[in-house]
Amino acid sequence: MNSVRLFFVGGLTSYRALFYWLSPTIYIPSLIVAPIFQILLFAYIGRSAGLQSDAFYVTGNAIQYAAIPCLFAMSQTVSGERFQNTLSAILVSPAKRFPLFVGRALPVMGNAAFVSAFSFAAGCIILGVSLPAGSIPGLAVVILVAAFSCTGLGLTNAAVSLRVRENAVLSNVIFGFLLIFTGANVPISELPGWMQDVSHVLPLTHAIQAARDLAAGEPFSDVTGLLATELGLGLTYLAGGLVLLRVFEWQGRKHATLEQL
Amino acid sequence: MKTLRLLGIGWLFHFKMIMRSAFDGIGQVIYPLFFATVAFFVFRAGDSPRTLLYASLGAAVMGMWSATSTTAGSAMQRERWQGTLEALVATPTNFALILLPVTIAMATIGIYSLVATLLWGRLLFGIQLTLVHPLLFVLSIPATVLTFGALGFLFAVCFVRFRAAWALGNMFEYPVWLICGFLVPLSFFPYWVRPISWILAPTWGMNAIRESSLGGSPLPDLLMCFALGTAYIALGFLVMDRLLRAARERAALSLT
Amino acid sequence: MAVVEAHDLRRVYKTHTGTIRRRVKEIEAVRGVSFQIEKGELFGLLGPNGAGKTTTIKMLITLLIPTAGSASVLGFDVVKDPREVRKRIGYVFGGERGVYERLSGYDNLRYFAELYGVPPKVQKPRIEELLELVGLKGREHERTEGYSRGMKQRLHVARGLLHDPEVVFLDEPTIGLDPVGARELRATIGTLTEAGKTILLTTHYMFEADALCDRIAVISQGEIVAEGTPAQLKSRVESGAVTEVEVYGIPDETVERLRTLEGVLSVWIEERDQAQVLSVQTRADVQLTAAILGHLNGSNVGRVSHREPTLEDAYVALVKDE
Repeated sequence: MNSVRLFFVGGLTSYRALFYWLSPTIYIPSLIVAPIFQILLFAYIGRSAGLQSDAFYVTGNAIQYAAIPCLFAMSQTVSGERFQNTLSAILVSPAKRFPLFVGRALPVMGNAAFVSAFSFAAGCIILGVSLPAGSIPGLAVVILVAAFSCTGLGLTNAAVSLRVRENAVLSNVIFGFLLIFTGANVPISELPGWMQDVSHVLPLTHAIQAARDLAAGEPFSDVTGLLATELGLGLTYLAGGLVLLRVFEWQGRKHATLEQL
Repeated sequence: MKTLRLLGIGWLFHFKMIMRSAFDGIGQVIYPLFFATVAFFVFRAGDSPRTLLYASLGAAVMGMWSATSTTAGSAMQRERWQGTLEALVATPTNFALILLPVTIAMATIGIYSLVATLLWGRLLFGIQLTLVHPLLFVLSIPATVLTFGALGFLFAVCFVRFRAAWALGNMFEYPVWLICGFLVPLSFFPYWVRPISWILAPTWGMNAIRESSLGGSPLPDLLMCFALGTAYIALGFLVMDRLLRAARERAALSLT
Repeated sequence: MAVVEAHDLRRVYKTHTGTIRRRVKEIEAVRGVSFQIEKGELFGLLGPNGAGKTTTIKMLITLLIPTAGSASVLGFDVVKDPREVRKRIGYVFGGERGVYERLSGYDNLRYFAELYGVPPKVQKPRIEELLELVGLKGREHERTEGYSRGMKQRLHVARGLLHDPEVVFLDEPTIGLDPVGARELRATIGTLTEAGKTILLTTHYMFEADALCDRIAVISQGEIVAEGTPAQLKSRVESGAVTEVEVYGIPDETVERLRTLEGVLSVWIEERDQAQVLSVQTRADVQLTAAILGHLNGSNVGRVSHREPTLEDAYVALVKDE
């Protein structure tokens, strides 16, 4: 199977796994209603504490929420294989890993970007947040970069979840960490030093900062540095995920536990 | 009397089963703590010790609600998947009486969340718990558990026909956190939101717990909890028969 | 008045296919099933998988509402008075599922004893008695997730008898059990009739129905194709002989022509490994072997044998006749 075919076939499987999430009973509550309410929740908490601005919370939470599809849908596309007992079949095939798993990641990333963008727009409308017109294209780019970067984390999480049985709990915990450490709701500067250090190596932190700068009217050229860092982090997590998958595959072959994966 | 015994035994066994799944439970307790932490940071910047305790109590009840809403939605689904839904429907006991203790058992787990959040606030942010009306505080907790369980019961009844009922239950987590006055006083919302908040028991449970701690009059709040809880249960019973019949017609009680 | 009455029961299932264009397909699983069971009878519903046995039983125990027709148990309509029916019946379904895995066997029984309204004072002794009866004594305090399939089956039986019901419905109770366990279970079922209970048993094991049941109804593709005591069903085949011919491919017209031969009672074909076995049941007073082989001229023929007909033959003929 050449790489291009792998890329698209892998993508199609992922898309089908995504179909589970695409059913309206799941999609609307989890990926449309929930992020909007998360934005409202923190915006109002901010209002009642007299802190920050609505824009602060909209940008933070709309981007942070991309973590939900990235973590859960991605885990499912990888573990979904496990349940169908096809994972080991794939892993022992000569198929090249990179196009296969990256193909899987593409629909997840697209979906995550959509979720962020939609909740972003909805949050702005409901809370009456106005953005400078010129910032919209830039924000679109930021959202895409954030989705990419978070998908990288999602792949690493998916790899780990092959070994950890209760991967839903793990994904929820990671989501919680991102809620605090990415500055989605608490400015990084207000976090203790050690937490700030962690923030800088997590995905979404730089994207959120970039989005906030753009929303404040800064030109796109000013945030390219942040976006480059975000992209770099995303690639690192993506690579890390692929390496982990390789390691688990090798371990599985060594200890004859491929089916247990 | 027989009914009370039935409810008691149902509660006991389902509570036992929930307790035996340690991993789920730990996740259930940890997840709201992240939100609590954000709340503490935000309110600390506001700099008033009273406001921090306010946040602590609000976050604690958030955890209690989380335990109820996320599990109530999927209660029936889990029974169906286990194959026990049919076994339960086939008994001569009114199914609503069988389901109610299940959601109350789920809400009871919320107490762990409550305690964990208060401890977390104490350990990490130095938030001290005051109890202006200690007896009423102690009373408010089971009252809140029961009324949350009643609302969870209504959810479970309404969502039974959906295969992805868990997603629907989850959908009510954030909205209740937002409009029931856990961390945001109701005065911040447009006037039309308030009646919605008032028919939701979490609003009153929160008030009762908060006022027993910080001062105020928790008794009317407790009465509202009781009244609303009764209303939810009555509504659930009314709808249950019709829904079960529909399920029997559509062969939806089992997976096959 | 009969204890269990079924009148022209029908049940249609709707399934949806496809994700983009949802098409609804209707399957009629039960097409007009009627029978009556008298007090103290052990009635068997015998049929292959997919014949509609489980669907029929689920309608009788009030878990499914019939699409048409009616049924009553002890005079109570299963649709209008489900509660009254449920108080008086017990049911045993096989399988791994249907118990609470995180509870012990004992706790499972206690919970359901409460749900079945067993008086509190009676619960403990009754549970002990039932554990003894099904052979789970000593293992009752372990979590059922650790039970073997046979043990779970036995727990199902105990649960079905908790409230000492007058009527017991058993759906393929011995399936998946090892031979010893199955035999013990059959013995237990036998004792239930002795205690005066009325029993409906579904099975696809011919010998089980023959050994246990007072009367049998053979169900195939949603319809009852024969009914009677085991003796009566056997008499349908008692006469004559069965000629078995091994063939390697046989055209349908030949089969049809064989059916029309004078003296032929029924013809059926079974697949067996590489070949097929053509079975022709003939009347006792005719000798048709030559004629049969004559018709088979042109097809490849292997061994030919004769034997006495069995109840199995009657069953196979009945269910394969479509």
